[in-house]
Order: sequence, then C-alpha cells, then structure tokens
Amino acid sequence: MSQVTTNELKVGMKVEVDKEPYLIIINEFVKPGKGQAFNRIRMKNMVTGRVVERTYKSGEKLDLADIEEAEVRFLYKDADGAVFMDEKTFDQITISKELLGSNEQWLKEEIVYHVVFYKGSPIEVVPPTFMELTIVDTAPGVRGDTSGRVMKNAVLETGSKIQVPIFIEQGEKIKVDTRTGEYVSRVS
Amino acid sequence: MSLEFLDAKFVSKAAILRDRANMFDEIRAFFKKRGVIEVDCCSLVQYPPLDANIEVMSVSVSDQDIGYLHTSPEYAMKKLLAFGLGDIFYLGHVFRKGEIGKLHSPEFTMIEWYRISISYSDFINETCELIMQFIGRFPIRILSYREAFQSFLGIDPFEECNFSAVAHRLGIDTPKNSIHWDCDTWLQLLLSHAIEPNLGRDELTVLCEYPPSQAALARVIEKEGISIAERFEIYFKGIELSNGYHELSDAKEQRRRFVEENKNRQILGKEAYKLDESFLAALERGLPDCCGVSVGFDRLMLIRHKLNALHETSCFV
Repeated sequence: MSQVTTNELKVGMKVEVDKEPYLIIINEFVKPGKGQAFNRIRMKNMVTGRVVERTYKSGEKLDLADIEEAEVRFLYKDADGAVFMDEKTFDQITISKELLGSNEQWLKEEIVYHVVFYKGSPIEVVPPTFMELTIVDTAPGVRGDTSGRVMKNAVLETGSKIQVPIFIEQGEKIKVDTRTGEYVSRVS
Repeated sequence: MSLEFLDAKFVSKAAILRDRANMFDEIRAFFKKRGVIEVDCCSLVQYPPLDANIEVMSVSVSDQDIGYLHTSPEYAMKKLLAFGLGDIFYLGHVFRKGEIGKLHSPEFTMIEWYRISISYSDFINETCELIMQFIGRFPIRILSYREAFQSFLGIDPFEECNFSAVAHRLGIDTPKNSIHWDCDTWLQLLLSHAIEPNLGRDELTVLCEYPPSQAALARVIEKEGISIAERFEIYFKGIELSNGYHELSDAKEQRRRFVEENKNRQILGKEAYKLDESFLAALERGLPDCCGVSVGFDRLMLIRHKLNALHETSCFV
C-alpha cells in the first residue's frame, strides 16, 4: 500500500486510518518553539461522514486509502436496491437502499451518477448537482405572482418532494439543486 | 507614479512592504541606541545545527562539497562573541526545511541578538521592548512552564504523569503509535494544543523556566529544589514570537548535549551530523556570560498588520 508523510498530505487526499477511509479537510502545521513539530489533521470519514481531528508527529507516514471513482448510469430499481452500469466497463453494480439513503429520491433512468469505491465496494453515490425533472403532482398554477418568493409543494418524477413557486404547472420541467433539494428555475 | 490602476490588494501589499523597510530602520535604531552592533553572518554554513526538531536544507557548494543554509546564525554569532566582539545583532533570512504553514515559512526573517552587558531579567525586558516597537505597549506577564501547566491543565510537568491521558481527556486525538511518544513530545503536544492558544491574550506572556530536557542551548540552574532551564519564549495572542536563553557556555556540557541530540535524531530515523568543532573550540576558549534571543520578524509584521498568514508580509509569495 502506498504511503504519504503528514507533511505531504494535501486537502482532498484520501487516507486510511484505523481501517477506514478518510478525506483530508485541513492539515495544519503546529510547532512549539524548538520542539517537536505536529500536523493537526481534520478529516472526514468517507463512510460515516463524521469529521474528526487527530494530531500526528510531523513526518509520520499514513496509508493512502484504496479509493476508486466511476461514472455509472442508472438502469432500474430492484428488491436489493438500485442497479447501475459502469460507463467504461459496462459492468453492472447494485447499490443498496441503505447506501443510497436520501439520494434514492434523485434516481432517474439513463442519468449518470458518480460512485466512490473503497477497496472495491461502493461507499457513496453522488447525483448530478443539478437535475432537470418533471413535476408529476402539484396544485394548479396561480398567475399574477411571478416573484418566485411564494412557494407551494410539488412532487417530482423521481418521487422527491420539493417547494416550487406558485406559478409552476403540473407537467412542467424544472431544474433542481440535488444538494439542497431547492428549485432553481424553469426549463423551457 | 500613480497607483490607481492597481488592484486594492496590491496597494495594501505595497503599504506592508514600505512598512517592512520602515521596521528594518526601527530595529537598527533600537540596537544602535543600545550600542549593539550588526553582524551579517553567512547564510551558507559548513555544519548544520544539531537539533532533533529542526531540519536543514543542504546545497551543493561545488561538485564535491555540500553546504547548508543556516537555520539560525547562533553558532556563528557565538564564535564572534568568543572573539570578543561584544553585544551583537543579526537581521536577515534563515531557512528551515519542511516548515510550511500559516505561521511557518521555509525561509523567514529573523532578528537575533546577544548581550554580554545586561542581566537575564533585563534581557527579557529588552526583548519585550523590541516586540512592542511593532505591536504597541502591553503589560508583561512572567509565567513559568510549571505555573502554565498547573493553571491551564492542573498538572505538574515536572512530576511523573500520564500525559497521554491528560491529552485524551482534553479531546486531543492521537494515532495508536503515540503510546511510544516520550514525555517531552506529550508536553509539547499539550503546550501547543491546550496552553499556547491562551497565552498573550491582552499582554505579552513570557513563558520561562523550561524543563532541562527542553533546555536546547540554555543554562540549567537549581531553583526551589528542581532543575530548570533559563530559557524563555514570548507569546502574544497565542503566537510564539521569540525564543531566548541565558546561554550555556560550558563546552563540555555543550558537547554532551550535541551527542544527545544526535542520538535523538537517530532514534527519529534522521541523519546524525558532524559536530562543529570550531564552535566547540570557541566555547572552550571562553564564551562570555551572555543572553541571546531570536525573534520572528515576519510574525511581528503579521500581528502589526492584522494579517492571517506569514507569506502576506513578505516581498515574494
């Protein structure tokens, strides 16, 4: 396994600590006077999402995490979860409901998602930041207010429930930010 | 020339650099007034400093020879003291490999000086005076290493203690192999993580009376039944600004510490260095009773201009 010293650790690098993959968020060099130098490292557990801070002696070696990433196309849902196809290898992979979590609400056929693998197993699925989706259910549109500040409930074709401005009609296509679940704009 | 076309960022950078030149003048005036003369020590030296925790940059001087960029002008200045040059100061760049961070730069500007004609306590005051030329006047508080650990952490650093448990109680997480860290490493971890950020809030805090194991080149004396090193560091707003000593002048003791540091370097998997025999010979000829200190010029500029990172204070980034 390849290693990297604490001094070489850059933000965004992925390391393995206590058999789990971590993403480096901050690496701060701390040195008291003539004393021992330390690296105070803030990192995010790539499986649980928990952020931890740990102090190492400068120059200590850490293992780089065995992380791979792939672009995968959503095919269909089945009893175990969702089935995707790797865009490069055309291999099919199944991702469990548990791992999909709240991202299940952004699954649409033929859309390409980003998957992170740790030691060959998927640990995270990321939908495109912006998706264009059709509204399948909402109250009839109200003309007059076009400020976009007055909102109503709407259900998208993927099942996600979001807020849209009151002038939007059922059957319209809108752009949504999948990170926040917020309406962005109409798609003409 | 009009500077109007420049980005505001560059205008403020220009102001910082003008002030940098102004502060060089101030420092030289400070020492001139006190009869301390400037020495421009060589940056390129034959022997690296012997310090387990400071890494030196090596350069090829010729096809056969390797030299080093000085990490401080300390050895050279002590040789000059042994020649009988008297009170001296250095203002210039020094180099430390791998020291990169908001408050660290591999090349930085150091003010270092030695005084043979004033006492240790007057010397500490003089160092505070120089610092206050940059940051304005503040009260000075003298705090011993022991008092600092007692008041902030409730432990005695001179007693046997399970320092790792203290660190973990404070929520400082360390890797599994930290069970092999020695006492000084734990003390330095606690100092840097849990004490230093509290020092120099609205004052200059002078941390002094270090454990002998962290004496570096300071004298060790007996005080109230324990051995302490006559070493001091000055903090302002949690930032360490200087490191000073009542200088060790015993050549035998110096050689012993060098050998010890080389051993520590080897334990850390680092290269052992040849001893600078001409430096030891100078100590044998006789180093006058003196005090010495180094102050980080760029950190003073950082505080003076309320900046966040060291590189914002220097000519090039």
